[in-house]
Amino acid sequence: MRYDVIVLGAGQNGLAAAARLAGAGRRVVVLERRDEIGGLCAAREFHPGHRAPGVLHDEGLVDPAVAGRLGLERHGLAWRAAPPVLLAEEGGPGILLAVEPEAAAAELGRRSPADAAALGELRAWLARLAPAVRRLLAEPPPKLAPAGWGDLWRLARPALALRRLGRADLTELLRVAPMCVADFLNERFATALLVEGLAAPALSGTWAGPWSAGTTTFWLLAECAAGRFVEGGPPALAAALARAAQAAGAEIRTGAGVARIRVEGGRVAGVVLASGEALDAPVVVATCDPKRTLLELVAPGVLPLGVEEEARRIRSRGTAATIHLALDGPLELAGRPGERLEAIRIGGGHVDDLERAFDAIKYRAASSSPHLEVRVPTVADPALAPAGHEVVSILASFAPYELAGGWTEAARARFLDSALARLERHAPGVRSRIVAAELLVPPDLEAAFGATGGQLHQVEPALDQLFALRPCPGAARYATALAGLFLGGAGSHPGGGVRPTPGLLAADAVLAGSTRP
Amino acid sequence: MSAATAPGARSRYDAVVVGAGHNGLVCAAYLARAGRKVLVLERRHLVGGATITEEIHPGFRFSCCSYVVSLLRPWIIRDLELPRHGYEVLPLDSTFTPFPDGRYLLRDADPERTRRAIAAFSPRDAEVYKQFGQRMAELGRLVKPLVDGVAPDPTSLRPSELARLARLGRGLAGRGEEWLVGLVKMMTMSAVDFLAEWFECEELIAPMSVSGIIGTFLGVRSPGTAYVLLHHYMGEIDGSYRAWGLPRGGTGAVAEAIASSARALGVEIRTGAPVARIQVTGGRATGVVLENGDEIGARVVVSGADPHRTFLGLVGAEHLEPDFARQVRRFKMRGSSGKVNLALDGLPEFACLPGRGAHLTGDITIAPSVEYLERAYDDAKYGDFSRRPFLDIVIPSLTDPTVAPPGRHVMSIFVQYAPYHLKSGAADWEHQREAFGDAVTGTLEEYMPGLERRILHRQVLSPWDLERIYGLTEGNIFHGELSLEQLAFLRPVAGWSRYRTPVRDLWMCASGTHPGGGIMGAPGALCARALLAARAV
Repeated sequence: MRYDVIVLGAGQNGLAAAARLAGAGRRVVVLERRDEIGGLCAAREFHPGHRAPGVLHDEGLVDPAVAGRLGLERHGLAWRAAPPVLLAEEGGPGILLAVEPEAAAAELGRRSPADAAALGELRAWLARLAPAVRRLLAEPPPKLAPAGWGDLWRLARPALALRRLGRADLTELLRVAPMCVADFLNERFATALLVEGLAAPALSGTWAGPWSAGTTTFWLLAECAAGRFVEGGPPALAAALARAAQAAGAEIRTGAGVARIRVEGGRVAGVVLASGEALDAPVVVATCDPKRTLLELVAPGVLPLGVEEEARRIRSRGTAATIHLALDGPLELAGRPGERLEAIRIGGGHVDDLERAFDAIKYRAASSSPHLEVRVPTVADPALAPAGHEVVSILASFAPYELAGGWTEAARARFLDSALARLERHAPGVRSRIVAAELLVPPDLEAAFGATGGQLHQVEPALDQLFALRPCPGAARYATALAGLFLGGAGSHPGGGVRPTPGLLAADAVLAGSTRP
Repeated sequence: MSAATAPGARSRYDAVVVGAGHNGLVCAAYLARAGRKVLVLERRHLVGGATITEEIHPGFRFSCCSYVVSLLRPWIIRDLELPRHGYEVLPLDSTFTPFPDGRYLLRDADPERTRRAIAAFSPRDAEVYKQFGQRMAELGRLVKPLVDGVAPDPTSLRPSELARLARLGRGLAGRGEEWLVGLVKMMTMSAVDFLAEWFECEELIAPMSVSGIIGTFLGVRSPGTAYVLLHHYMGEIDGSYRAWGLPRGGTGAVAEAIASSARALGVEIRTGAPVARIQVTGGRATGVVLENGDEIGARVVVSGADPHRTFLGLVGAEHLEPDFARQVRRFKMRGSSGKVNLALDGLPEFACLPGRGAHLTGDITIAPSVEYLERAYDDAKYGDFSRRPFLDIVIPSLTDPTVAPPGRHVMSIFVQYAPYHLKSGAADWEHQREAFGDAVTGTLEEYMPGLERRILHRQVLSPWDLERIYGLTEGNIFHGELSLEQLAFLRPVAGWSRYRTPVRDLWMCASGTHPGGGIMGAPGALCARALLAARAV
């Protein structure tokens, strides 16, 4: 069978790439190792009748412009407002952080008028920054070393957009970007719970604590990209992408794991499936893990030595575990009786607690007081569980891929117990309502989704693994040194989270005939 | 004899420099060289600031604070003819790292010997080591123009600034993408991650990574520390890179040489003359008031104190725009290191390598593993001194016998981490100082059994002591953390990185300005250059 393009992986990025390429008239097949599409966005029935809407949580990152280019709304994508996030506290109501500025200010003002004002100022600054940052996240990363006037213009454009911010805003941006998020927030806020709660999302999936320099950059990138949520969560996004791809004529094959990428005459010739079946195509877009793609799917020696070396250096250490709970009744917080909350952040109440949770993985230990990013998807979609039941999905940080002593049954039980004990302190009685619990530690995530290290973003978010350095300098602009091989997963710019942009930009690169000199 | 001038009287001095630290002295010397009349005022009884040698125990001369040099800019040494004034540096060309299991790694100036020493740990790393040194030196050369000039400001739209950025950009881009990638990685990675791209064995990575954390409140795994590593590769003695040295007579001799050169150029230096405040009238600095009440007028006042002390202390927030004061307050000082100086009645031996040898005359580093260093950092993050700290040790008396009586020795131990802000408050250092000293000598005793018995005198300097004695706010040895957000055009405050301040005729010349700390002298010299170029004096 001969195709124009073979896309590896039917996660959000593979589907986005397929939709774009098929829409441009290419004959496309998407190959998915698993029996279902969606990858980390796929709904997961972890207990009969109980489904969790994917492993990824941060679904507010879907760029409306990307959705528009793929025509996703025509294929069933609907938006909804992002829900408020509760920063939970023991023995108190916590802080319910609404997206709407007035509501957030009113809530915070009860604790600290100064902090409410500071939050308003910070959000106003973000609003000025966001358009320029969003543009950076919607385009291929600029080349570090411009090779001609075109490149120079592409490099200058975002720089000029940033300059238009005005000198004060730009200076502040340059000052805070290399800072650690704890310093950045402590400069502005006095409420410890707020600082911890605001800092936490910057660290999702990173090998970094709030005192790690540069974490403010992750925070800014996430905050500037944050927008509306998708109705039905990540699985609904994947479904819309699949419909868009199929409507454009792309073929999607599940249960079709790829064993290797075939190379003939120094360029891509197709792939060989695990079953032994061979498919021909001059172009392969790999949206699966870049490290595996470059080091395993491509035979050693095909890529230049330097690129192989770069690929080996890619850091993809998983640092978070996923917990799915089926409850036989609603999750209720002691501090918020009777309230239905969709997003809850549970830490120790101080940014140092978050840092302590991170400290553990430096010594290959799992945190004994993990930070919990809690989602209760049944609040928005009760159909995910039988009547009266609740599904709770938790991203627990930090848990290392390589645990000293290994992830034995005892180690898993210990980590799950630490997480549930923390949850119990905020929601007394919750443990007695657990019908089923599933824990996926980084090695499980690696086995299930093929991401090296169980890293949720394929490539660890780190300052030296962003933009023109993501996933590595030699493959940062989707094309690789192997003619016909493109990368387009979360490991490529603009990176992970529920955000199909890398796949779309990789497809653009294919259509533009990009090559790597 | 009072040198005061009556208020409003015609200034006797063109410039009065507050503080006779090495930067204040360098600045004064350059101004005098240009024919200006300069007075330097020093609070203590001796010149040098943190660049001093003091006889703490009879017959033993301690380089109490700074203990090695190499960053002192060669052009300053030439311009001020420092060798003529007694400046001499004895090279310190080995690094010795003992490990708790009895092994050790000794790297020295002989590439072949070093290669063999590393090969015992990893043959692969031994091959890469030299290449790495060359690459770092080249990167250092690329960054050097930044250190020897004022900081470029990427937010400015002035044609001269844009041209400067473009020149810098062209210089970098001309090197090709590989270099740019290297530079970007250098600016963003942690020292350990950066080194791990080159080396595989931790026994090499750990002791190399510590150059990235000296004087910072960061761990070796903290992003941004790879850059500080580079800072330490920029050191040069007689044009040879990565060479550190001990000044003959202790680091105080460096300050004395600069002071002597300054005096020869006509600078007046007064010690025991603490400045109480900088006189600000109508938004401009007109002079200083000493603690004894004397007033000294000058056309410009140049502060060699750190930014906090200068603006919040000597000037006073009431003379500043609230926004500027806020920015000064958030300029992070946070001292993280201490110093322990020992007078020894003999030379102790390392258990892993007994006897005398080259390993004792160089730099001795207690940094046995990355985990050890991270644990040391974790203690400090939560407000304790490291129970098992990172130590950087020199025994100057082996190289320079003038600093101790015959047969006896001084040992200088730089210790990290010792956070200024203890959990129990900074003032608790008064009570924790000796426990901290015990942690240091106790750690060392494990490697040098018998050391503690040989101690005749122990001087322990916590960050709180560094603040009290040497006037370093929060005990920060660099007048402010050397973290990326506090460097270059952001040091100490955005828009005020070029030695000028919002207070007219008040200038800054010390480590709190670009290019920062270490015995570099560049801030002082660049400040003088800026003053003269602006015809401010």
